[in-house]
Amino acid sequence: MITAFIKRKERKTPTVETIYFEWDSGILPGQFVMIWVPGVGEIPMSISHIGREKAFTVKNYGPTSAAIQALSPGDRIFFRGPYGRPFQTVSGRILLIGGGSGMASLHPLINNSSFGLVAARSKEEILFADEFTDENLIITTDDGSEGIKGNVIEGLKKIDLKKFDMIYACGPEVMLYNAYLYFRKIGVNAQLSLERTMKCGIGICDSCSIGGFQLCRDGPVFFMNELEEMQEFGNFKLTYSGKRVKI
Amino acid sequence: MKDSSLKTEIASLKLENPHILASGILDENGYTMKKILEEGAAAVVTKSIGMDERNGYQAPVIADAPAGLINAIGLANPGIESFGDEIAIAKGSNRPVIGSIFASTVEEFANLAIRMQKYRVDAIELNLSCPHVKGFGSEVGSDPDLVEQIVNELKLKVPVPIFAKLTPNVTNILDIAKAAHKADALVLINTVRAIRIDIHARMPVLSNIYGGLSGPAIKPIGLRAVYDVYRETGFNIIGVGGIETHEDAVEYIMAGARAVQIGTALMTKGRKIFGELNSNLLQFMEREGYSSIDDMVGIGVVK
Ligand SMILES: Cc1cc2nc3c(=O)[nH]c(=O)nc-3n(C[C@H](O)[C@H](O)[C@H](O)COP(=O)(O)O)c2cc1C
Ligand code: FES
Repeated sequence: MITAFIKRKERKTPTVETIYFEWDSGILPGQFVMIWVPGVGEIPMSISHIGREKAFTVKNYGPTSAAIQALSPGDRIFFRGPYGRPFQTVSGRILLIGGGSGMASLHPLINNSSFGLVAARSKEEILFADEFTDENLIITTDDGSEGIKGNVIEGLKKIDLKKFDMIYACGPEVMLYNAYLYFRKIGVNAQLSLERTMKCGIGICDSCSIGGFQLCRDGPVFFMNELEEMQEFGNFKLTYSGKRVKI
Repeated sequence: MKDSSLKTEIASLKLENPHILASGILDENGYTMKKILEEGAAAVVTKSIGMDERNGYQAPVIADAPAGLINAIGLANPGIESFGDEIAIAKGSNRPVIGSIFASTVEEFANLAIRMQKYRVDAIELNLSCPHVKGFGSEVGSDPDLVEQIVNELKLKVPVPIFAKLTPNVTNILDIAKAAHKADALVLINTVRAIRIDIHARMPVLSNIYGGLSGPAIKPIGLRAVYDVYRETGFNIIGVGGIETHEDAVEYIMAGARAVQIGTALMTKGRKIFGELNSNLLQFMEREGYSSIDDMVGIGVVK
């Protein structure tokens, strides 16, 4: 188990915080750690800031993430990693598509010419939109409280996807699946970072698997042609017990 | 140089090679099992399935250890009712699928075995050995009388081969092995009961405190179990524990195993391990002049 101390915290939305910590390690965009709160639980967490100062950006959605948000500067954090196959970086113009807290794993890819399509349920939940310039940003919200009303596809329709050298997306699987179908129709390449139940993080427990691949080890980032082979993508997943359910 | 063959048999189960995926590792999802079979495993053992859906323990369910890993997944499984689909998907590979089951009574074991057989598994493995769940696994598997009753009942009720997977967490594994003598094979060994403490958190790492140690750390323990049981009884044995290379597999075979299972090495080597084991073992056999696995079984045992 690796330990580090929290340096500072920033509230990003009513449910999301960025927590900065000191960790001397090479970590690549899209990789994650398994973070442990002793006595509470352990969850996967993508690293949102990978420079000298590291940070993760955590949404409060369960007991462990709530316990993480309850920590203060100076407190110790416990984790193992980094794990996972990172985003493959390219030179040129990139499009970043993030749904909800999915923006956290895309955050390390943001540069001064990147274009952002930031999707959220409502205005309050919009994450990291302020890191894109106005002309390089489209926002969609489900309730229409900011930007375009509707899902990410409504935003994609406003963008000429062919002018980008690479497209990166992260968010809920339903959103990613719809984006995948749209990319396929237009005929563009993309890297999608998926999310599934994770217990081990090291490729042995099978809880994160999709179409025979282990998300924690072969992913979480997959290319379009890899997703094409996975019958389960956008379709079925296994719950914490291992029960197959429709997505 | 002779022509060598990796084929082996355990009771009526015919295997293309001696390398089987162990229970509990990458075998909850049918698509994963199918992929591992296509990538060279001779057979897969499913994760252990019980009567009812169980979530198992909350994470952390694994902790690292020198030359190994401690796990306390806690027999998470979807329940027998929901597992047929996964077996059907895995069987799309046309290679054998071995159904692992756990229960606390003879009746439940029989019930599960009958259901597994209806799902057309090629053999059934009895988990008499999980070391970290109360009322199941090694708690059942350390009682020779209960083990004997379970094995005998299943041999009456189901025609497919029955494998009994035993725990090393007993004073004398031979007593349990003899109690399970009607099984078509013994699977030796399951994990060794263990814990880790985080010195900064000042508490055990696993949410369940106790887990089972696997990986290279337990290889000599597994070898000892296989050796002792083979020497004393000559039973069919499937060796498990810490196998990462073809040399490890050969060591188990020479101690008396007719096949081996691989679990934790999927973490260190990835799914490609099965292909590597197959080609390296074949080269070894050709180099050393063995024409079959059978030629090597038990030859390291001092009579
Ligand atoms: C994560 C994990 C889960 C396991 N789950 C089961 C299980 O459900 N049933 C079982 O009989 N053995 C289970 N085992 C034990 C393995 O099948 C095997 O006996 C043990 O790990 C030793 O082999 P290895 O060193 O190759 O991993 C599990 C092992 C691990 C590491
Ligand atoms: S989380 Fe266990 S295999 Fe990926």
